Amino acid sequence: MSSVITILYSIIVLIFLAFGAAIVFHLLYYKINRHVSGIMSLIFIIGAFLLLISNFILFKQVNWTQIFGIFRL
Amino acid sequence: MFGEIRFPGQHDDEQVILFLRRHWFIFLRRLIFVIFSIIGLVLIYFFFDLLSSNFLRSDYYNLLLFVESLGTLFIWNLFFILWIDFYLDAWIVTNERIINISQKGFFNRDISELKLTKIQDVTSEIVGVIPTILGYGNIYVQTAAEVERFTFYQIPNPNEVKNTIVQLQEKERKNEEVEMGQAIRGEL
Repeated sequence: MSSVITILYSIIVLIFLAFGAAIVFHLLYYKINRHVSGIMSLIFIIGAFLLLISNFILFKQVNWTQIFGIFRL
Repeated sequence: MFGEIRFPGQHDDEQVILFLRRHWFIFLRRLIFVIFSIIGLVLIYFFFDLLSSNFLRSDYYNLLLFVESLGTLFIWNLFFILWIDFYLDAWIVTNERIINISQKGFFNRDISELKLTKIQDVTSEIVGVIPTILGYGNIYVQTAAEVERFTFYQIPNPNEVKNTIVQLQEKERKNEEVEMGQAIRGEL
């Protein structure tokens, strides 16, 4: 697997995590209703974690060398 | 009723009378983009599936699943961004004042308040077919304060909310007059 693709993937994941951190910050810092904020934060974190894990597994399963072999990345 | 509600700068004896957000239909309208994105991902999957019978066994199948998964990640974030924008936009009517909390995207939040005694005039409006059917609209509060006009956007039952604000304002004004009379008579 090419390091360029890994770096690009890492950047995308970092962007996702940055947005995720901002969402959790807003939910927990500006809590108007503690119960709703807590539950929604939990749903977001669990969902994001599961999606990220499954995305990483799929990333590993892609044969990047075969697909982008012609570009010699 | 609003015991769970807390907002910055709340006084100890301040009671929350009304807690208002935009009508749920406004959130649903914003969700259309998310719904179309999900439909788009499903359609892309079936498009490639139908394009070639060998697609499911090719290297590109895993790539498609990866890209779709990446799309799902960002749709997940988008949903919560839209929800936060809806959830953190609120109007609170207490027995002392009106508080307008306005969230504009990330890290952009305005909080303004208005004492009930400074209210000069309250107007409610319902414009359009869908707002009339679902019963949501705007309320304009004319004030004698620094912020001349307070607007409650797309809130449910604007006429009832307007009546409540007017009643609270009259009650607060009478209380203020009584207090002022007591002060003049030297009872306070």
